[in-house]
Amino acid sequence: MKQYRGRIIIILLAIGLALYFLYPTYESYKINKHLQTLAGADSTNYILTNEKHIRDVRAKRIKLGLDLQGGMRVVLEVNVLKMLEELAKNKDDQFNSIAAEIEKEAQVSEEPVTDIFKRRFDEKGIRLSRYYGSLRESNDEIIKRLQDESEKAVDRGMEILRNRVDQYGVSEPSIQKEGARRIIVELPGVSNEQEVTTLIQGTALLEFKLMKDPDIIYKTMEAIDKYLASQGFTDTSASAKKSDTTTQTNALAALTQDSSKSVLPGDKSPEQFAKEHPFFALLRPNQKGTGEGYASENDRPRIDQILKRPDVQKLIPSDMEFLWMAKPSFVSEGSRFFALIGLEKKAELTGGVIVDARATIDPNFNQPIVTMNMNSEGSRDWARITGANVNKRMAIVLDNAVFSAPVIRGKITGGRSQIEGMENIDEARLLEIVLKAGALPAPVNIIEQRSVGPSLGEDSIHAGINSFTYALILTVLFMLMYYRTGGIVACVALFINVSFIFATLAAFGGTLTLPGIAGIVLTIGMAVDTNVLIYERIREELTTGKTLNAAISAGYSKAFSAIFDSHVTTFFSGVVLFQFGTGPVQGFALTVMMGTAANLFTGIVITRVLFNFMTTRSTSTINFG
Amino acid sequence: MRLFKKTNIDFMGKRKIWYTISGITLFVGLLAIIFKPVNYSIDFLGGTELLVRFQTAPPINEVRGTMDKIGLPGSEIKTLGDARDILLRTSAQEQGAVIADRIRAGLSAQFEGNKFEVLREEKIGPKIGAELRRNAYYAVIATLVIILIYIGFRFKFIYGVAAVVALFHDVLLTLGLVILFNGVSSHLNLEISQNLMAAFLTLIGYSTSDTVIVFDRIRENLKIYRSDDLFTVMNRSINETLSRTVITSGTVMLVLSVLIIFGGEVNRGFAFTFLIGTITGTYSSIYVASAIVLDYTRYKNLKAHQV
Repeated sequence: MKQYRGRIIIILLAIGLALYFLYPTYESYKINKHLQTLAGADSTNYILTNEKHIRDVRAKRIKLGLDLQGGMRVVLEVNVLKMLEELAKNKDDQFNSIAAEIEKEAQVSEEPVTDIFKRRFDEKGIRLSRYYGSLRESNDEIIKRLQDESEKAVDRGMEILRNRVDQYGVSEPSIQKEGARRIIVELPGVSNEQEVTTLIQGTALLEFKLMKDPDIIYKTMEAIDKYLASQGFTDTSASAKKSDTTTQTNALAALTQDSSKSVLPGDKSPEQFAKEHPFFALLRPNQKGTGEGYASENDRPRIDQILKRPDVQKLIPSDMEFLWMAKPSFVSEGSRFFALIGLEKKAELTGGVIVDARATIDPNFNQPIVTMNMNSEGSRDWARITGANVNKRMAIVLDNAVFSAPVIRGKITGGRSQIEGMENIDEARLLEIVLKAGALPAPVNIIEQRSVGPSLGEDSIHAGINSFTYALILTVLFMLMYYRTGGIVACVALFINVSFIFATLAAFGGTLTLPGIAGIVLTIGMAVDTNVLIYERIREELTTGKTLNAAISAGYSKAFSAIFDSHVTTFFSGVVLFQFGTGPVQGFALTVMMGTAANLFTGIVITRVLFNFMTTRSTSTINFG
Repeated sequence: MRLFKKTNIDFMGKRKIWYTISGITLFVGLLAIIFKPVNYSIDFLGGTELLVRFQTAPPINEVRGTMDKIGLPGSEIKTLGDARDILLRTSAQEQGAVIADRIRAGLSAQFEGNKFEVLREEKIGPKIGAELRRNAYYAVIATLVIILIYIGFRFKFIYGVAAVVALFHDVLLTLGLVILFNGVSSHLNLEISQNLMAAFLTLIGYSTSDTVIVFDRIRENLKIYRSDDLFTVMNRSINETLSRTVITSGTVMLVLSVLIIFGGEVNRGFAFTFLIGTITGTYSSIYVASAIVLDYTRYKNLKAHQV
């Protein structure tokens, strides 16, 4: 037994780790079961009181693919040619005719569009500097710059999409970059094709909007608050989480020192405060009087609902609108808080006037800044607007989300502005992307769109799980009958193997798809094969008259090379599949790779230790059939 | 329980007969591949595809009539398993979900009293289809190269070559049978799709591991019985591994049969393909891979003696 101590520790560690990673999935399953038994208000209350826990558990559970839970998958590709056309200056007939030729070629060719572009212009002997950049630049230099630009367009497209999807309110959306030019958007549980298509394909709208006077904003919020209180508006959910309210208030009180305009509960109980100030219980105004109000992300939908009510709309000045900041202002108690600000409804300028934007580090102060250049027409307007609104705040709004609201320091002439106050260079880069989104749209084409109705998802998950269970039961029965004690050990190994696969999926945030389940079924086959190989060997050794102990160890060592070689080849074909396959094939490859790796461990190491454990107790109970 | 006592079958002696049988089956499969149109799924072709479930099964001609009416004649229309589930496919392409919306509108106008629900909707651009096909070829070639290198390295080079030839045999045979069986039953969807591609790659993996296990025993026995010739050693090795071969492939076939029966539409094509692959994969380890190694070694020895 002693020589196995190290292995036993490793095995126990591995099993413990697997259980640790599987627990959230189990917990999430339990919560869902529990929620199904609750009706209406009870279930919302349950969700609200356990919000953080539910979210944590959901984030760590095994994710199901769209084929198992229903939803939409859209693959977008940046239309490089269209972007190049839009970037070109002084377009003439010659340019247009070449562009048309390139378009034809690009449809059938696999060559990058920028390469085709360069070749076509080189063939005609036309210098690209006629349309792009300065005279001194060579075609190569220009093409390199355009390539950079097309790569940045993908990032821009992703940011635009993320912003919109966030506002659309899908749970667990996934937006990923694939290769250099593609974006994959996966929206679980969404089935409205049309809505999603317009959401994804619409042109980005960047606007500059002046912020309203903080006093007016505060008064409007106050009016809404009073109105709701007079209406006897009580938000059940707000009172359901009183303990939460206090912690949030404390966090906010810490954030804001000036309490001259105190509407904070003070000595009042949270329930009473919520009753007297139903709106401020959800949205806490900034105590420095900046005109911002903060709300946790969970309260946002409720505030949106209130603001949309026609009777509440009447209280808001007709030239004013409330918009949310795109990124959270701060995080408190695991909840992200967003700011709501009041803006002029009419945009001062739209993003079309921006020529360029760049995030850099200011060498003088070592601070991240964003510089922004406008065209001559925009510069004239900009000078007028900034001149007339010094010390006011100008919000940068992309698709109705406020990304930044810097204070205008003075009149900006010449169209070159500088934005400061970003916390880090990442924040500055995001602003650069946002500013460019208005200037350089990232034209995207939908090249693949799949949607699975939730009912098909349910059908297939049932079919998959059922077949999985039947296959497992049949295999187990056969092994028990054929190999007796060996069968029991094999089944234990099989069970551990399957839990390892699921645990690795959960640990690496992998997604379980239907082909993935097929991969697990295959792994079961291979796990059985491992045991069969070993047991057949042990039987052979037993017939030569060896003792049980000797037969077991000979069986293991002789079967090893065959098991190892066959697993390595299968593992490598899994790697190849993962590398070259897409979507469903990758899901299959993932479970096959995990399965073969886990199998080597369970089939060879764990079963060996189990047998050793049994032989040291008593040999008479071991029977290989 | 024991299925096999010690067997002593002369496998290698009968290899010439099996060469002929393999040849004939491969020929039939090749004829199917060449003459029967290959049914690629939308994954590889591109186009728009809708799977709709009606409340009650609609007459297929009416569905076809609707498709003609809305300007999509020649669309593929078929039932999938349940007669209420209709699969509509057209190669027409337009920006966004225009085509799908047109089909939806046309169907709801035609079948007013018979509501339907869209179970699946797919639109795939032609470029993606071409890319997928290319990736599939790359994947197969890369897998074969890796297997050739690995087995060549672990055994002898000829063993690697023989294993890859056996794989070609298995893939071609299975592909031929899949194409032959496609369209036989509405419950068995055997279009060449990403799922089926996964099945082919799995059968490559399975067939290789089966071959490796037979080779492993040959390698071991060659060391033990040095005086015996390759023919005897091979027969002995195959007999010794026979019990394992039957049990493992039997269990895998059992699992696959369960998948075929209960696995649902999506898994059925996969399981069917892999089932054929299991049979040919097990067979080819003996009568293709081992037989080639045997005949090559004999040929080489003969030449060596002549010189």
